[in-house]
Amino acid sequence: MSTVVPVSGQATLRMQRQHLPMLITVAWKNVRLRYKSSLFGFLWTLFNPLLFLLIFLFIFSRAFPQVENYPVFALTGLIFWSFFATTSAHVLSSVVDNAHVLRSLAVPAQVFPLAQLMAGLFNLLVSFIPFAFILAWFGWRPVSATILVIPVVALFACFLFGLSLALCALNVYFRDIGILWSALLPALFYLTPVAYPPDLVPADLQWVASLNPLYHFIGLVRVVLYDGQAPGLELWVPAIGLALIALLGGLSVFNLLRRGFIANY
Amino acid sequence: MAELAIALHGLQVELLVQRYGFRSIKEYLVSIGSKRLLERKCILHDVHLEIARGECFGIVGRNGSGKSTLLRVIAGIVEPTKGTVSVLGRVAPMLSLGVGLEPELSGWENVALCSSLLGLSRSDIAHTKDYVRNFAGLSEPELAMQVKRYSTGMTARLGFSIATANDPDVLLIDEVLAVGDAAFQQQCYRRIDELKRSGCTIVFVSHFLGEVQRICDRAACMEQGTIVKVGSTHEVGLHYHDLLGIPLNP
Repeated sequence: MSTVVPVSGQATLRMQRQHLPMLITVAWKNVRLRYKSSLFGFLWTLFNPLLFLLIFLFIFSRAFPQVENYPVFALTGLIFWSFFATTSAHVLSSVVDNAHVLRSLAVPAQVFPLAQLMAGLFNLLVSFIPFAFILAWFGWRPVSATILVIPVVALFACFLFGLSLALCALNVYFRDIGILWSALLPALFYLTPVAYPPDLVPADLQWVASLNPLYHFIGLVRVVLYDGQAPGLELWVPAIGLALIALLGGLSVFNLLRRGFIANY
Repeated sequence: MAELAIALHGLQVELLVQRYGFRSIKEYLVSIGSKRLLERKCILHDVHLEIARGECFGIVGRNGSGKSTLLRVIAGIVEPTKGTVSVLGRVAPMLSLGVGLEPELSGWENVALCSSLLGLSRSDIAHTKDYVRNFAGLSEPELAMQVKRYSTGMTARLGFSIATANDPDVLLIDEVLAVGDAAFQQQCYRRIDELKRSGCTIVFVSHFLGEVQRICDRAACMEQGTIVKVGSTHEVGLHYHDLLGIPLNP
């Protein structure tokens, strides 16, 4: 009698190599959709950091005379902040936004957050090209340490993904998470030394500032892109640690909660 | 009994459900500590079902009796808490029409997108494109148009064509054929017959007993998360109407 093979249930819901084409298709769709039906398309990716740069130049460049070449200082931070803010918000809402698909097709839920991360990374990498020209205009020059931006982006992406994955899973059950996150993001922006030099924080409060994970990542970015130096171990270790903790934590929260997604979309 | 296509044994599905919606935040704040945020709900229990290969199996039952969840378990969308699920071959779930369609993209782009969400390979997708061209009844300019400009019927045609293009081994249909014009519905039923003849196993959920009796070989009736009756479509129909308390032919 039968060649009934045990399928699915367990197997299909987990991310496997067979889901790779699906993942790439969805990620590419996200890239295309982000600015579809808009006149300026991709230019909007540049617009947000540049607008902030303009405001910063207007308000802050006199305020921090100790910062040499303030535009480069601000822009290196802003590019990564903008990546963090946009991508975390997209990852966070990805599962809820695709509830109709997850309810009706055997697609692993992980596909959607991962595809949003990939789309965000793609956007960041492409935006590096025009930003390099803008930075060069302000007197920035690439040096050999600039290549280290690749591992820095990788670590930052791991941290960002882990954190937003946990938020994404919780958001399925409690939509408050998404609302809370959009309220927290601006606060986090001022808490992170994007516009101001990190030594602006009084010495005895530095430990409070360093509790903010983004403090370490923006610091790492600055050393590589603004100082043009290879970061020391004391900068790599916290970034690697935070990236690993976020990723492992995010994945376990997501895996724990995803079984119940179906009843709560 | 012939070769089995679907075998469900001792199936149980329990899910954690959030108890509080946006409207009841106040209720939640009042009850904090005394009640839990999430509640464990039993959606399916003690489900045993065997469906033979090539059979067309109908499922009837009241709203909320667990019909859709049962299809989701067969499709691998919901993991059972207990019990075993065995399904032979590739499953094409049609739990709602036009699922996965992205309104901003064109018909053709959506064929590629949806097919890949169905887990089809690149060569299968090429086949789907040919199939859609011939079957969907949409003109070339319509297929190049953004799906957001489609009518409901056109969307349904595209969705149905994509889902049934690659001769699935098991087809799950949940109450989706009610949309689309009469000509399209007939076309759908013809396609279902064609798949049936080619050995495809079909599980068909519907509220319309007439439809079930017309296309199904056997049927089951569900009530409160379990199967209460399995048999010929006539027997199950009688049982269902008993359950609802309305006569079969008023």
